[in-house]
Amino acid sequence: MPKLPRLSPAPLVLTLILSASAISAQQTPESTTLGGYGEVHYTNRSGPGTPGEVNVKRFVIFLAHSFNDRLAVRSELELEDTKIEGGAGGGEVALEQLFLDYRLSDAVSLRTGLVLVPIGIINETHEPPTFNGVARPNFDQEVLPTTWREIGVGAAGSVPGGHGLGYRLFLVSGLRAEGFSGTTGIRGGRQEGKEAGFANPSLTGRLEWTRPGLRLGSAFWYGGSAAQDSVLGLGAFAAPVLVLAADVRYDIGAFAFRGVAARISVADAEAINARFATDVGRRIEGGYLEGAVNLLRLLVPSTGQRLLAFVRHERYDLHAAVPTGTAANDSYARRVTTVGLSYKPLWNVVFKADYQLNRNRAGLGQDEALALGIGYQF
Amino acid sequence: MRRLRFTLVALLTLVGSAPSLMAQRAPPRKLAASLERVYGPGVRADTVPIDPEVTLRIYRGDSLLGFAQVGNVKGKDQPITFLVATDTALRLKDIDILVYREPYGGEVAYEQWRRQFRGTRPGDSLEVDRQIRGISGATISVHAVTAAVRHSLENLAAWHKDGRL
Repeated sequence: MPKLPRLSPAPLVLTLILSASAISAQQTPESTTLGGYGEVHYTNRSGPGTPGEVNVKRFVIFLAHSFNDRLAVRSELELEDTKIEGGAGGGEVALEQLFLDYRLSDAVSLRTGLVLVPIGIINETHEPPTFNGVARPNFDQEVLPTTWREIGVGAAGSVPGGHGLGYRLFLVSGLRAEGFSGTTGIRGGRQEGKEAGFANPSLTGRLEWTRPGLRLGSAFWYGGSAAQDSVLGLGAFAAPVLVLAADVRYDIGAFAFRGVAARISVADAEAINARFATDVGRRIEGGYLEGAVNLLRLLVPSTGQRLLAFVRHERYDLHAAVPTGTAANDSYARRVTTVGLSYKPLWNVVFKADYQLNRNRAGLGQDEALALGIGYQF
Repeated sequence: MRRLRFTLVALLTLVGSAPSLMAQRAPPRKLAASLERVYGPGVRADTVPIDPEVTLRIYRGDSLLGFAQVGNVKGKDQPITFLVATDTALRLKDIDILVYREPYGGEVAYEQWRRQFRGTRPGDSLEVDRQIRGISGATISVHAVTAAVRHSLENLAAWHKDGRL
């Protein structure tokens, strides 16, 4: 190896001059970033009176601004179902996220604002190219109420030491029992940051372990839902709701697997059902498993494009346990099987097609659905 | 050795404070620690003025150990500041994430993920889901860093070939 000449003093002097002029300008410049995702769906359900329907399901604008190296604001503004119109049903304009992050270190970022509840897979990561199937899994709508977000404060980061452990922990506005129901579980109880009551501050958190190709997560939510209702109780933890969930994502070679399981306990379901004349379960539980294979990787190894064939099986019961005075409804014990294809010419653009079988223990209102969709993120 | 370490930190402090060389700064101590981890203790880093990134020649005493580059690549909304460190034959010794600023995707800093890059040579194929296993939930960062490392190695090779490095 040829011996390289030692550094002469000249560049050092140059460096000194450069740095002397620059010391006052060390602050990182401010920057603004625009991003977003969107999805357009075609859905055709079987059965009479259900012709195909097309819909711009979601159009989301991501806007972030970093004030300096440590302090940033991040937001997502969502338009659902193309438009909202006076007097017409459907359509929604909503803030999905709006929070300030202050990065103390890799171990701790302080976060405050409207934040995503860190439970399951889809609630935090729901850009269309990241999941298979045109619509989000039913489990992630009926059991875990995506997109679940509340206003609060907390911290996120990675556990020091490089063991691959990450965490998030937030204190946020709680659920309201008034919105609970048998068919949609706790979904209607979300406040979503809209003039939200803070009578029942709730704790939610997540611990996850990551390796290349593997992510294991566990998460919880605990908080009251009484909203100072005189019957349910005035305490901060009156009518408590406990959510426990675990999830896994594993990619190996051409194959990708994921699964989620969750259990929701509504301890005072009996009182809630009596108070609001509803039929929420005392326990809601279930999950899904999904396997996918990248056919292009097997057939055309040289290409970077992806064609994923997948099958997903969801099994959940909104009436896994019912309180005294509420009859168990077998049509809430659901089984959903979805098979389909996701074609990704690039990692952040997707064309989707799937076929879904909706079944339940009662055998009532069962149907099939064909869906097509496009999605992107940037 | 303590003195050498101090020299390295001091030198990198000077380098780091020159914005013409670097839009996003890496903390000099972090960069010094990272270089020591990759090349061993008592190394010296001399800058090679090639814009827009910070390019370094790494020495111990008189002997050249390799080349390194500090670069930035955009994640979802913030730059990720990374280090690419090679031996004298431009074979990648390791990469490092010097500053990660975003709320999600920070797993690209984990050693288990970074070590997949070791041994890569300029011109080698370096693709997510091929040579590099991705991390579900960190897709944007995984793609950004992988592409940036590939680009960085190509630059180092080109500059080495034309005599600038």
